Amino acid sequence: MSMQRASWARWSLLFLLSVAAYASAAEEYSFDASEFEKKPFELGGYLQLKQDNFALNRDGTFYKLGNTSQSQRDSLDRTTGTLELVGKLRPGIGTFDFHTHSDAWNDQLAHGQNNKMFEAAYSIRPDPGLTIEAGKRTLRWGKGYAWNPIGFVERPKDPNDPDLAREGLVMADADLILNRDGPLQTIAFTPVLMPVSSDVNSGFGVPGYINPAAKLYLLYRDTDIDFAWQGKGSRAARFGADFSRNMSSNFEIHGEWVRIQQLAKPVVDSVGNVATATANATSYLLGLRYLTESDTTYIAEYYRNGTGYSDQEFRDFYQFADSALQQFQKSGSGKLLQKATTLSEGNYSRPNLGTDYLYFRAQQKDTLGVVYFQAAVTAMMNVRDRSYQVTPELLYTGVKNFDLRARLYLLQGGAGTEFGEKLNSRKLELYARYYF
Amino acid sequence: MKKLLWLALCLIALPAAAAMDGTQILQKVDRNLEPESYETYRKLIDIQPDGSKKEYVLYTLKKGRDKLVALFLSPASDKGRSTLRIGDNMWLYIPDVGRPIRITSLQSVTGSVFNNADILRVDYTAEYNVESVEEQKDAYVLSLKAKTGEVAYDRLKMWVDKQLLLPVTIEAYAASGLLLKTLRFKDIKDFGGGIKRPATLETDSPLYKGYKSVMLWSALKKATFPDEVFTLNYLPRVQELRK
Repeated sequence: MSMQRASWARWSLLFLLSVAAYASAAEEYSFDASEFEKKPFELGGYLQLKQDNFALNRDGTFYKLGNTSQSQRDSLDRTTGTLELVGKLRPGIGTFDFHTHSDAWNDQLAHGQNNKMFEAAYSIRPDPGLTIEAGKRTLRWGKGYAWNPIGFVERPKDPNDPDLAREGLVMADADLILNRDGPLQTIAFTPVLMPVSSDVNSGFGVPGYINPAAKLYLLYRDTDIDFAWQGKGSRAARFGADFSRNMSSNFEIHGEWVRIQQLAKPVVDSVGNVATATANATSYLLGLRYLTESDTTYIAEYYRNGTGYSDQEFRDFYQFADSALQQFQKSGSGKLLQKATTLSEGNYSRPNLGTDYLYFRAQQKDTLGVVYFQAAVTAMMNVRDRSYQVTPELLYTGVKNFDLRARLYLLQGGAGTEFGEKLNSRKLELYARYYF
Repeated sequence: MKKLLWLALCLIALPAAAAMDGTQILQKVDRNLEPESYETYRKLIDIQPDGSKKEYVLYTLKKGRDKLVALFLSPASDKGRSTLRIGDNMWLYIPDVGRPIRITSLQSVTGSVFNNADILRVDYTAEYNVESVEEQKDAYVLSLKAKTGEVAYDRLKMWVDKQLLLPVTIEAYAASGLLLKTLRFKDIKDFGGGIKRPATLETDSPLYKGYKSVMLWSALKKATFPDEVFTLNYLPRVQELRK
């Protein structure tokens, strides 16, 4: 028995020593940077599987307009697979960047797929302070988190997911950078030429123009300042400015201001007459980002959308859509319904079409003490009609190259309000994303 | 009376003399740690209480006392992100977001015990004044006070190896006096070109009990870059600077 005990003790000691040796070895770190040298070709990207459950808003105008010819549903489940490839080729003196986006989706009503080239541009840098590039490029101007009214030459961002990659536009652009000592530390000038035809950048505006635009960036007394301009062409001429500044080590403020000259906006009245209202429009945004000692980040923004529809214009559209639906149900005539559906898929379908919005987001790093686990809640409110959307969210990034995210969109608002008339009243979104 | 006046003047002058010595020590520490302008590769390892790890690799460039760029090369989920620091200003560029956003020194772009001020550290003399120096057997103990409220840590207590004039341990404190973290420099390594310094930095924090972060250096060498590299417009192109 005692021999057994001695043997057990010996093995235990050996095990403990092994563990200690392993632990000690684990404390030895090594790092050789040679595997990270620049390569002539680089490829990365992500693969994502997303599951959405929509609770459909059967009383909402957008649901009614889109479901006159099919059976009524309370919910819809959609599965979407997405593949994005991001790469770099370095032929000759320049660099060729590309970014592709492919997705395939399936729900109880339909299925489909998309293949898009988000970016494909060749750039050369004859001098450290000068870059010239041509191709399809996504420019992102502005300092706002949820909205960027100053984003003149880009597709609008989705305020529900502001960090999502977006499809670019075909253009030629340059970057001239000048760095200097003194209160004005950096000057950078970005001129842009963007053609619009029936084949190129066709959704941007009226075809047949080569649209000029430019941005001047200044880092002046620790404040980022941009001045931006877009000439008259496919869209109305516009100009604006933005700024961003850290007030302290945990507090940032930012803002944007934009003036659009002679903006033409299609407006429908309550009986379906569509007129084009032309007027100057001013949009602006003010925001802040604040980090607490307990690692909670607060983001708040107020957005005044000068291009948005007034309460009355919203009400007229919904009233017309209701009339069109009633006429269809009573007489079977789809003439007005077709008009209302076209409007609902066009100018009236864009997100945040109202004039005044509040945005608030709170995110807690290492929620419940779990590293790489983040809980967040986002709220967006149409101040005019008091309708809103609240989105709690959980994100875990603790597994190497994996993101796991769950989001629940809860929409609230009465009849005739922006969020009260949306297609769905609730949406649960789950995704797993693998980066490679 | 004259003697009393002379004594009073001496008492006033003494701490000033000590502080000047301390400033010289801190200047030496800065230059012994890195050349004023350099490039290097760094690996950041975050170790969780259960032993699991997450690693990041960054390519880093610095120019002058307070300009620094760091580009994420790994893992794939963070590849292409880059951060820029000019003085107290810090920005993060995420390729998908596509435009640099301002970040603050107390945040952490990696989510580790190292915050942005640690990852984008500039010269200590650019951020801190030496308040006092205490001489111990093997070390100088410098008490440092932040020059402005923008600096991440209000005070640092730095143990400096007397022979090598390199930091050994640094305690970082908030303005309230709360100990935020302890940084430990280890493994003196000859990087060539006259650069001999610690190749490992470990940190832990009473605010993150059980967690530890480690920073490793490789291929640290003196280098010069044009000023234009340290601008927001250049951030998407920083990776082209790698050899």
